Amino acid sequence: MDPFWSNIFRKPGYKATLAYFLGSVPIFASLGRRDLNFLETLVHLRNYHPGETIFAEGDIGSGMYVIRSGGVRIEMKDEQGENRVQADLEAGDFFGEIALTTPQPRIATATATEQTVLVGLFRADILDAVRKHPAIASKILLGLTRILSQRLQHAGLRLREQSYSHLEPSSGEQP
Amino acid sequence: MTSVPRPTGPAKNLVLFVVLTAGIASGITIFSSASTMADWIETATSGLFLPILLSLIVTFLLDPLVQVFERAQISRTASIFAVYFILLVLVMILLAMIGPPNWKSMLDALRADFPRYIARVLDYLNNLLSSVHSQFPYLEHYDISGKFRQWAQEFLGLILLETPRSAMRIGSLFLLVPLFSFFFLRDSRRIMRNLISLTPNRYFEMVLDIYDRVSWQLAHFIRGRILEALIIGTVVWLGLSLTDIRYAPLLGVIAGVTNLVPYIGPIVGMVPGLVIALVDLGVGPQFWWIFCVYLLIAQVILDNFILIPILISRVSNLHPLWVILAIVMGGKLYGVLGMIIGVPIASVIKIALLEIRQYRSTFNSTRDILLSRRN
Repeated sequence: MDPFWSNIFRKPGYKATLAYFLGSVPIFASLGRRDLNFLETLVHLRNYHPGETIFAEGDIGSGMYVIRSGGVRIEMKDEQGENRVQADLEAGDFFGEIALTTPQPRIATATATEQTVLVGLFRADILDAVRKHPAIASKILLGLTRILSQRLQHAGLRLREQSYSHLEPSSGEQP
Repeated sequence: MTSVPRPTGPAKNLVLFVVLTAGIASGITIFSSASTMADWIETATSGLFLPILLSLIVTFLLDPLVQVFERAQISRTASIFAVYFILLVLVMILLAMIGPPNWKSMLDALRADFPRYIARVLDYLNNLLSSVHSQFPYLEHYDISGKFRQWAQEFLGLILLETPRSAMRIGSLFLLVPLFSFFFLRDSRRIMRNLISLTPNRYFEMVLDIYDRVSWQLAHFIRGRILEALIIGTVVWLGLSLTDIRYAPLLGVIAGVTNLVPYIGPIVGMVPGLVIALVDLGVGPQFWWIFCVYLLIAQVILDNFILIPILISRVSNLHPLWVILAIVMGGKLYGVLGMIIGVPIASVIKIALLEIRQYRSTFNSTRDILLSRRN
């Protein structure tokens, strides 16, 4: 197509918008452009300084975060009470999605490692969307379910691997 | 080493004097300017309290209707216009069908009748007093009926004085309330989101969650209260119009509005209707029917057995002591209007506090579970 025409039909700078960014997050992958524009009114943009705690283990969680820019470290306490780094997340990653549907205490601590902008999506807003725009809300929740079930399957497979690896040597030792 | 020479003797006294004077002067200036500022603010907002209150009420009532339209993929602004349009058409149809209740002639007639009702009440009081005096002669010098007469005349004067002014005010209400409630309906979400986004990161989730619960409960409570008042008012109006009593619509409005105040409100709302019935109709079957409408049908059956269980949760029940305190304090602040809305506002505060406490307790218990699991 002639670049002259393509420029008219594409909104300039759409790739820089929050809606476009949200569309690149796996949970919201199935949302259309209109839905993403609506989602943009639902989320909260929050700024964090380096080292600032986003949430701590045991806090009551009420939503998930997507990293727009910057980095986040996820830590968990082990049996000795020592902090152990679970993951270092960067722009485009998301975390805390388990708390989106039910109020549960956070199982890990999230800390910003640099100047970070997070996009927060919280239960209160999702519930509001369920009441007002059920179609879009169900798309969001379906995306969430898809991610969660993938993780569940993954975890189940790993668990099975571990239990087999535990069983195999013991069965080999016995006559 | 250099040091600032310290003033001694009379110079010291002079410095002290200057400092004290400056302090007092600036104190007076700040105080007076603060009070003029408060005065300005009071003057500027004096006429706005009622329109804003009414707009908030309208907003709470219309919000569910707007949401119905929004669900059909219509933008919020368009939905609000649609709801306004439908309401306008409904009011038009209603007016065309039954004709407007003739408020003005009713008010004029009431103004003419009011002294008559007062006179009858005074007669009754005097009869009562004379019988009381014959039994308790030492009460002679306590002039109850004189006090009552004075109060009634003041009240009548107030009505005569306020009517033209309040007509102006009502006219402006018809303009301001739809305008305000339009903006409240359209932008309240954005305004609240902006306010909440001011909270520090660490408390943001908690504040958002608590706000969501509190606002839901409050909307539920306020909507329930208003619907209750509307239904009670309509039922009293209909019940009274079955008899020959005059001012049935006005008495319905009074019953509905006073019903917002628990315990005391319904009794106060009953008094004008009963007085008018006694004076105009006398004690007879009609009077007892009116009594039944007020007490049995509106209060006991409709309000206690049907409306309150459905519309209003038990959470918002206030202790009678708080009700009285809220009425007194509301009355001090905003007169009769304050007396009526004092109790709902007290309930609103109670609901908010309860929600926050409940949230904190679930917060603590889940944290305990997590900690115990780890140990």
